[in-house]
Amino acid sequence: MTLLDSAAHLRRRDALRVLAACIADWWLPRGAFAQRAPKPRRPDRRVIVVTFGGGVRYEDTLAPQGWVNIPHLATELVPQGLVYPVARYEGLTGHFNSTGALVTGCRQDVDAYGSEAPVTPTIFELFRKAHDLPPEEAWVVATNKSFSLMGGSKLRAFGDPYSANVVLPKQLLIETIKSAVSTDAGPGVEDRQALAERMMTALDEGYEGFGWKVFESGRSMGADLKASLSKSLLDYFNDPTVPTSGDELTFFMTKEIMNRLAPSLLVVNFWDIDIAHYGAYSLYLEAIRRTDRLVHELWQHAQALPQYRDRTTLLVVPELGRDGDVVGNGFANHRSGDESCRRVWVVALGAGVPKGAGTERPIRTFDVAPTVARMLGFKMPECEGSPLSELAF
Amino acid sequence: MQFDAGLTGDAAALARAHAGVLARLPATVHAFILVELQKWPALFPAEQRYQRALLDELSRRPGPELQAAGAGIARVEAEAGIGRIGSREPARFQDDAQARLRARRLLAPWREEVDRFFRTIDPAVEAQLFPADAPRRLIVQIYSREIAVQPDKVWSRFKDVGLRVPLDLQGIQGSAPFLRALLAASRPDAAGPGLLAAAAASSGLGPLDTWIVEAHEALHELWGRTPASGDAPAGLSYDRLRGYRDELMRALYQRIQSGVESPQAFAAYARSLKIAPGAEAMFPASDLLPAFVREVLLTGNGTLFVNNTFVEWAAVQALRRAQPRILLTRFGVRDKLKPFSSLLLFSQPRATDAIPLIEDPVGSFVDVEQLSYYIWLNAEKSAAYRSRTLYLFLAEGIDEMLAIRPDAPAGPASRLPPATLHDVCQTMAAWLGTTVPGAPGKVMSELT
Repeated sequence: MTLLDSAAHLRRRDALRVLAACIADWWLPRGAFAQRAPKPRRPDRRVIVVTFGGGVRYEDTLAPQGWVNIPHLATELVPQGLVYPVARYEGLTGHFNSTGALVTGCRQDVDAYGSEAPVTPTIFELFRKAHDLPPEEAWVVATNKSFSLMGGSKLRAFGDPYSANVVLPKQLLIETIKSAVSTDAGPGVEDRQALAERMMTALDEGYEGFGWKVFESGRSMGADLKASLSKSLLDYFNDPTVPTSGDELTFFMTKEIMNRLAPSLLVVNFWDIDIAHYGAYSLYLEAIRRTDRLVHELWQHAQALPQYRDRTTLLVVPELGRDGDVVGNGFANHRSGDESCRRVWVVALGAGVPKGAGTERPIRTFDVAPTVARMLGFKMPECEGSPLSELAF
Repeated sequence: MQFDAGLTGDAAALARAHAGVLARLPATVHAFILVELQKWPALFPAEQRYQRALLDELSRRPGPELQAAGAGIARVEAEAGIGRIGSREPARFQDDAQARLRARRLLAPWREEVDRFFRTIDPAVEAQLFPADAPRRLIVQIYSREIAVQPDKVWSRFKDVGLRVPLDLQGIQGSAPFLRALLAASRPDAAGPGLLAAAAASSGLGPLDTWIVEAHEALHELWGRTPASGDAPAGLSYDRLRGYRDELMRALYQRIQSGVESPQAFAAYARSLKIAPGAEAMFPASDLLPAFVREVLLTGNGTLFVNNTFVEWAAVQALRRAQPRILLTRFGVRDKLKPFSSLLLFSQPRATDAIPLIEDPVGSFVDVEQLSYYIWLNAEKSAAYRSRTLYLFLAEGIDEMLAIRPDAPAGPASRLPPATLHDVCQTMAAWLGTTVPGAPGKVMSELT
């Protein structure tokens, strides 16, 4: 039985899983390949920062009335770790700048749509430079397609040589499908073979066009895998029952990266929550619940991997909130700058984190980066935040 | 600051009459007012009235008082170097000023000062526009029968507001009979439902004084056919606008395919589109409506894709801009998002590519609870509606409604006897100072 035959027997719901596996297999450097890099002075500690990305309101999540939307965090993860219910983001309330603040510890004021890199060094650059580590040691996996420059600053002394690998898994899938169905004269499903060919053509094109930034290159995917992937895409695109979520794909990619490379520093940006901009409150809540589940599954996955078990700290944080009801259109936006779109929270668990604790001490999201720095043993010369003193380093 | 606004007609006359005070205003406020005046022909009468009242009020203020009110803005402007901007065209000046404020991280302080300025001025303007004896207003929000309304949770955002009124539906099933009874529409009639006709006749309401915004078409169908211009209220139906929406999406998608420099460039392109809705797509209350709809669809988050979001955003914009005396909204069931459809929204795959639409009545209920609440919140922010509006919330097939009357205490349903839909209709008429001739029902005194 070929891969193509086996794919035909897959349930449609598994299409995304197959797709993600194929994509990951295609581009991810294998461990042996990665080991060609210079011998790193790799710390024993691992840190995973997960953003409840897209922006959530405190009232819809960590406030008592919001617990129903975050059952895994509220009943399973928080009791294992430490919660900071009073966190604040101070800065421009767009996604790039607020996430930029998380990974730099500094206020950022760059293009809101990601055409500019952060203006101060990121934790990825500082980490890799301090320990002389290869690119496989620091990753950003992002659903938000504007995050391709999140992995490194625009500073001459840093930037590309020390940046993180940035992966935008959804973007690859989107571009593939869009390319296949975009033109009036283009192929439709009545001509599946032609569509499959177009999809493969799209997949053969450079990653950079899709916003990918991968340091290792030169890997190619076998013909069987490509055909299998194309068929999976067709099934996926035409199956209304599969998850609509780009975050599911991001989650899958994150696991693949952990399995194959076990990087020390990983920032995962979930972003489905930003569907709130469409004004459908139910879809926003649904995305919060999905993110809650994915964060839980990610933590379980980390505990299942020897490279991560007992040596990993997980930090979960929304990069920003969303507008309060009395301002503008409430949950649908996050640009008012009101308290509701600044009030967030941080949950920490794992290595170095006291269990079942919480502190009302107000913190800032700027504090996340220096906390990561302290854990991974590097300095942050430019930083507005301070390490979270409640955590053991 | 001397501007070259190129105003004509009434706008030019207004600017001339208030040239002195305009020149004394902080430059960014001066430019803002001129930009509004440049839009004069596209402004709703309520917006024009506001501009007149604003300029009248500014001119009435003694010089030192006005200077004090604008001192904070002037200080931020000086810090940002606004005075060094060379452009004399107000809109261009605004753009340059915003860029300078942003570059110097003064945008937030500037906004705060502008808010402070208008908080000083607006109460007097509003008192002039909306005196205590200004006419009453009515906002009715209806959930369609297809929405999976949970009776024990409905209107849950209004825990401490309004009266829960039990309804005797008298066996009425279905949307059309419900709406006909509620609005006294015995049959489809080009003159519209009896309630609206009575209100228009007794109060001399113009076409833009009554707005109907709905996800589907049930309210529009009460007219039977599209009424003639001048007879119609402003009517917007997401479903009836389908052809127009499709055309807009096609144009946007073509642009995406040909390459977009940035989200800002894409927005500028969207604004430049000259596509207009067809005559059958809306009730032709005014020449202003096509531009209004276009703006709602292109600037409101999700309004092109989600019917109830369109209803909410269009209603909020109508309240803000046109300030109708009567607003009827009717939410419906939205479709579930297709796999990755949020990423292919503009692509319009061919029919053979299409995934069947699946409705989401449960999710729609969650959505409309929030959206109807936002319409109420936005109305209450406006002096046009605050303290003079009766709000009714109804769900087709549900034997209870929520009524919010100004200054009325909240109370449980048991305090009021069941009312029929005819009673509700006559109560709305009474609130507006009229009766619906020949229609049954009695007025609920608790709500008028």
